[in-house]
Amino acid sequence: MKAYQADIAKFEGTDTQVFGLSVDSVPANREFATKNGITFPLLSDFKRTVVKDYGLFNEEGGYGNRATFVIDKDGIIQHIDEGNVAIDPSSVEDACNILTHKKATP
Amino acid sequence: MIKRTLGLLFLLGTVVAIAAAQTPTPSPTPARTPPPAPHTNLKVGQAAPDFTLPSTAIGPDGRGMRFKLSDFKGKKNVVLAFYVLAFTGG
Repeated sequence: MKAYQADIAKFEGTDTQVFGLSVDSVPANREFATKNGITFPLLSDFKRTVVKDYGLFNEEGGYGNRATFVIDKDGIIQHIDEGNVAIDPSSVEDACNILTHKKATP
Repeated sequence: MIKRTLGLLFLLGTVVAIAAAQTPTPSPTPARTPPPAPHTNLKVGQAAPDFTLPSTAIGPDGRGMRFKLSDFKGKKNVVLAFYVLAFTGG
């Protein structure tokens, strides 16, 4: 999350909205955001419906797993990072840049 | 000359054999094993499942904002970073 915050300007430059998403409550996420200086919205999936829809629900632990999805303006998934790879936002940035270039040259 | 070359080759062969015989040092096992990670069933090219969720963002009315993924259709790309608060050291 911190890595994403550091690169938020790059994302915004590519016409992209960044969201964090976890199964934690809004107050818990707000505290986390304040502590770590995170300015993009953190979504609370406390009912675990979204982590289940995205196949990321860990039945044993009762929490969502780490993954990053890049969704284009048509609502289509264009890039997926899973596991510890998802900590590093660089491949996601590349995917966003590709989407921006797509738009520039139809 | 030929004898010397052969001797050198033999020596080289011996060195390689010794190197190969040495068992590789086992890589240190991580102190904390990551939790079992189920993989997403979604694939690139598929439509992202829609959702509406509350967030940490505060709206102009001073209340917490809710976001709907499909509201961004035709407007912005969306990066959705699923994270685990309990495992996020920073």
